[in-house]
Amino acid sequence: MLVIEGLTRRFGGKVAVSDVSLTVESGGFVGVIGRSGAGKSTLLRMINRLQEPSEGRILCDGRDVTALRGQALRDWRADCAMIFQQFNLSGRLDVLTNVLMGRLNKTSTLSSVLRLWSAQDKAMALSALEMLDIANLAAQRADSLSGGQQQRVAIARALVQEPRMILADEPIASLDPRNTKVVMDALLRINKHYCITVLCNLHSLDLARTYCDRLVGMAQGRVVFDGAPEALTEDVARELYGLEAGEVMDAAAERPQPAAAAFAAA
Amino acid sequence: MDLAALTARHPSAFRPDWGRRAVVAACVVAPVALFAYALASLDVSWSRVFAGLGRLGDFVGLMLPPSYGTTAKLLTYLHALAETLAIAFLGTLLAAMLALPLGFLAARNVIPTWIFRFGVRRFLDTVRSVDTLIWALIWINVVGLGPFAGVLAIMSSDFGAFGKLFSEAIEAADNKAVEGVESAGGSRLHGVRFGLLPQVLPVMASQVLYFFESNTRSATIIGIVGAGGIGQYLYEEIKVLEWGHVSFLVLLVLAAVVLIDAVSARLRFAVIGNRPQR
Ligand SMILES: Nc1ncnc2c1ncn2[C@@H]1O[C@H](COP(=O)(O)OP(=O)(O)OP(=O)(O)O)[C@@H](O)[C@H]1O
Ligand SMILES: [Mg+2]
Repeated sequence: MLVIEGLTRRFGGKVAVSDVSLTVESGGFVGVIGRSGAGKSTLLRMINRLQEPSEGRILCDGRDVTALRGQALRDWRADCAMIFQQFNLSGRLDVLTNVLMGRLNKTSTLSSVLRLWSAQDKAMALSALEMLDIANLAAQRADSLSGGQQQRVAIARALVQEPRMILADEPIASLDPRNTKVVMDALLRINKHYCITVLCNLHSLDLARTYCDRLVGMAQGRVVFDGAPEALTEDVARELYGLEAGEVMDAAAERPQPAAAAFAAA
Repeated sequence: MDLAALTARHPSAFRPDWGRRAVVAACVVAPVALFAYALASLDVSWSRVFAGLGRLGDFVGLMLPPSYGTTAKLLTYLHALAETLAIAFLGTLLAAMLALPLGFLAARNVIPTWIFRFGVRRFLDTVRSVDTLIWALIWINVVGLGPFAGVLAIMSSDFGAFGKLFSEAIEAADNKAVEGVESAGGSRLHGVRFGLLPQVLPVMASQVLYFFESNTRSATIIGIVGAGGIGQYLYEEIKVLEWGHVSFLVLLVLAAVVLIDAVSARLRFAVIGNRPQR
């Protein structure tokens, strides 16, 4: 169970995340929604500790992870795998090596730096790639892949970390509708099959409703909605998205599929 | 399109920008004035150039035809040429090997500590500000005449330049891959090894090849002061006024440089040019 207490992050005078408190049960699929600049990315990055909080604590099963340093911090990062909008792969390395990055924390520094991976690690990476239907691309350079394929590589990297939680920061924002479905389905499968908690930033309300069993709405760094997707009324959506909300909801109600596509492509 | 209304709404976009024009004018006028001043103060006399043109013609006449004399001499020349190439190759490689760790230490995204980076940078600047020829004179006094001094001279002068270029390549690299590695639980070293190095290695390799090209020329020059290689013979033949031999040596160096240019240009493209088209 992940407990966030009064988490705040400031950039100069600007407050990106403001006094956020959340409790995330294990095994959930939680969507974080909100308009651009609401602080969604900053929140996720603080959980993985890519960004330091200005105030507040993050507790995982009662352990304060905001104070971790060195190896303990790296262990925590391996525990909460991160998936990025821009994939953040090492483009010049092949797909398999990129997936094996998820094993770094469990490999000795010398053998990993020399790229001497154990057979078990390779098998694990390949089976993750197989599960995502891209094992045939294992030897290709990562930057020669399409966006959807690269994001699946990133998911495979997250999987071999054997994480307790996956933090996905707009994983489908640069993908077309078909790849959006492939990637979101993969996340859902991982969530249900391995019982890994997923915390996922999304721009599209439709996607959030379809995949998540709980939604957290953020506006100006604060949590302004927290509940089941069904409880997200038009009023709340308007508060979240400002004036666009009405249009968002209407368009979604009339023709759900194209609307989802439009959001995903945007 | 309503010009008047648009002009009213965005007056600044239509107003002539005098400040900017003044800057552009200054950027043109200042170098021209500087050029004129330099011509006047450096005692440039075109009449002397014209008067000397005849002598230049005499030299060309003396140099024709290029010849190498005996076969034994040809072999000596070829050996010296090989020595020059070896000096350039070894010097460049040693410089690159020494500069690699320092390049990382001087890069902001690897070592965030300001003071440390500052120290490394100033050290590299100091080394770089001394020319290869000066380094050759220094090393000849330390290790004696010969190719070893040449290797050390090239290594010393290029090591500073490499350190700077490498650190700049590293700073220009994209941080996303590093973040990806670290987010997965990798250490700082892992981030550099798997996120940064794959990105910058091709850039570095191409820089090293380029320096090797230009060092073939430098290695010839430092031979003249006694640091081994073909430059030594060039100097001797000039001293004894064997102009045919001099022109032969010059052509030999030219051929070698052209050959190396062609080969290394291809290698460089092979190293950096395999980016997938997207
Ligand atoms: N490294 C940074 N330096 C300065 N300001 C930052 C930094 N990162 C984020 N911010 C600011 O914090 C605020 C929240 O940013 P954040 O990236 O978390 O928003 P977001 O909800 O993820 O938006 P989007 O949906 O566009 O990705 C923004 O106003 C942004 O300008
Ligand atoms: Mg974001």
